[in-house]
Amino acid sequence: MKQKLIYYRKMTLLFLTAFSLMVVSSCEKYFEFELPEANSKTDTVLPKADFSFAPDAKDFQTIIFKNLSFESTKYLWDFGGGKTSASQDPAFTFPGEGTYKVTLTSSDANGASNSITKDVRVVDLFVPLAPAILNGDFEAGAANWSFSSFTGGTTSPFNTSGDGSWLKYDGADNGAKTKGAKWTKETSAGAYKSSNTRYAYQAIVVSPNRKYILEYEYAIKTEAEQAGIAPGGNRIIGGILDGHFADGAEAISSYDKAPLLNHVGTKVLGKTVFTTVKGEFTANASGKVGILIYGVTDVDAYLDNVKVYPKK
Amino acid sequence: MKYNKIIILSIIGLAFASCDTEEFLNPLPDTAVVADAYFTTDASLLAGIMGIYDAAQGVNENTTTSITNSNRGVQFEYLFTEHRSDNTRSATLEGSKADFHRYLVDPNNVQSEDYYESMYQIIFRANNVLNFIGVANPGNQAKYAAEAKFLRAFAYFNLVRLFGDVPLVTEVVGALDNEKLFTRVPSAQIYQQIESDLKEAIDNLDNTHKSRASKAAAQGLLAKVYLTQDNRNYPGAAQLCQDIISSAKFALQANFRDVFYKELNPEILFAIQYIAGNTQESQSFSSEFTSLFRQGREDGLNIVNANLISDFTKFGGNRTAVSYVTFGTSNEVAKFLPEGSNITTSPPTYGPNARNAGNDWIVLRYADVLLMHAEALLAGGAETTNAAAIDSYMKVKARAGFNPVTDRPAVLTKEALLVERRVELAFENQRFFDLVRFGVADAVLKAHAAEMGYGSYDARKLLLPIPAREINLSKGLLTQNPGY
Repeated sequence: MKQKLIYYRKMTLLFLTAFSLMVVSSCEKYFEFELPEANSKTDTVLPKADFSFAPDAKDFQTIIFKNLSFESTKYLWDFGGGKTSASQDPAFTFPGEGTYKVTLTSSDANGASNSITKDVRVVDLFVPLAPAILNGDFEAGAANWSFSSFTGGTTSPFNTSGDGSWLKYDGADNGAKTKGAKWTKETSAGAYKSSNTRYAYQAIVVSPNRKYILEYEYAIKTEAEQAGIAPGGNRIIGGILDGHFADGAEAISSYDKAPLLNHVGTKVLGKTVFTTVKGEFTANASGKVGILIYGVTDVDAYLDNVKVYPKK
Repeated sequence: MKYNKIIILSIIGLAFASCDTEEFLNPLPDTAVVADAYFTTDASLLAGIMGIYDAAQGVNENTTTSITNSNRGVQFEYLFTEHRSDNTRSATLEGSKADFHRYLVDPNNVQSEDYYESMYQIIFRANNVLNFIGVANPGNQAKYAAEAKFLRAFAYFNLVRLFGDVPLVTEVVGALDNEKLFTRVPSAQIYQQIESDLKEAIDNLDNTHKSRASKAAAQGLLAKVYLTQDNRNYPGAAQLCQDIISSAKFALQANFRDVFYKELNPEILFAIQYIAGNTQESQSFSSEFTSLFRQGREDGLNIVNANLISDFTKFGGNRTAVSYVTFGTSNEVAKFLPEGSNITTSPPTYGPNARNAGNDWIVLRYADVLLMHAEALLAGGAETTNAAAIDSYMKVKARAGFNPVTDRPAVLTKEALLVERRVELAFENQRFFDLVRFGVADAVLKAHAAEMGYGSYDARKLLLPIPAREINLSKGLLTQNPGY
């Protein structure tokens, strides 16, 4: 009897186990679908996409995006041209200036999503330095145009002259001649180079590696006004030195080797008939450059209205 | 027994009568003030104006420790403007004051909430004074109104820079006027209000006071507003700074230390005053800035970061020794040491009552105006050769011991100006706003957070969260800033 009872118990246990196993396995599906239904609330606070952006301080083409989305966990950025990103706050480098459409799609874990598209304007807002040229119109004579020393030469920059341009520094017509600078055979360089050769020099500061224009007016007397032609032709030479120089001799040697700009003006149109020169140069890495202008001429040659400004 | 019943009944009745259900169920939000019949005379209105300054001054934490009973005014401001920059940090990671430097602030942060409430206290007290301006003597009305508006502009300028778009309330409103109290207004519109309030202050105030609003303080504040608002007004800012400089009423102190230890000296344009030893009129931040020999309630706040020390070494000049002091490995702010302090002895002493310190809080000083002048002439560019800009910059630098001739740069760069502001105005709650204004906040703070291992930083942390309590009271009107 006892034996039988044990057998009976064992069988019951076996059946129970098998039955409960069956229940569990057959109910799996049922539970799976019922759970989210019971007591779960629909998500009514849905993702809202938004972003702002600003150019990188060092590179205007790289835009740093700031994600301002609400109720979202996943982000997809579309920068156009097949370029995308899934990070929250990406930075993207655009190929150049222009307006680009950028789309941000923010979504939550339920798959709800929201998109926003904004026009991203990529523009170079850099404002290069406008260097102040002191006494660029020579109204103050030779002031501000001298080297502080000149080994084997003179610091005197040119002869002052009343035969400058008819134009004022701002380009307006003066109605009469203004003051200018003058070179003669005695103060010339080139074949006439001597300890009396005169160079106009002014140190200026510009924005590093940016493009600038050096502008000035020059006039050379005609054969009829004064005879003589220097070897290589009568000319006014103007350019930009790579650096600031205390000593004129060092400056000339640097200029002869590697000027940032060298322009040779040979138009012989006569006294007070000025030719405007606009030479483009790229500033060096320090932004410290110098203006250097001198003459090689048998006849009187004139200079006026020296300007340096950023290239537009 | 019957007698007992009567007593119980009457107690219940009493309880009902004393409990005004309307008020009980609709608690007054912090951003509201009940207009009352206090203002009847010129003197009472002037007292009302002093009350606005009182809101800015705040209550010393050591006087009432409860965070719900008192506001701290500007006394917590360093947490949002120095801790949240690369300048300083908390000595420990304990408590909500230690959340700011790690960019962990959440909408329940009590200090951030306190500041929001404090600024709205200023605004509502100012609105209240303006509401009763008619009781003042006719000759005083324009002046009083200008003073209230200066303070309202001061509060809104702080709010809009720290929280972004905020509710704009410019009149006395009822506690249930939720539309006005909780509708966020675009910051451009808030800046318009600030500008018009400050212009009125400039037109109607003179330079009699330094601890109260003045013409120069309004000019200086408006210059900073012009340099900060999205639509920058550089010529306007340059003109305002030039006006202050030309007035010749202010001058740099020859000795940098005197700026902080000679109260209301000629360099100060506007300061919030405190009185040492007076529990009602003193401040707690001086003691909180100590750490190794700590005097404050915390383990040390505004502890100087190595990053700032390296800038001090290069650009600080004689400001370095005045600005901070090193005890062992602890670098502590020294611009606001409590009365009677002597940090040359070992151990240092901090006077008889460090927790009730009287050091004024300098809101605006002449060196700031000079550097703003240079900033306005730089006009958002990367560099300038403008001589006037370099002159103003060099005045500040020369006072710090640099040579006015040999140390004078040919070109003033934005970076040089920013770092000059950093070492000149360190611990004066300028750094965070400077970084934002110069457009480099995200770049600088991202690098700083990476260096310090503050993983929670992202660009959204540049705005503080709108306090959760305000959002809850607003019944869904007030929205949160992104990222919180």
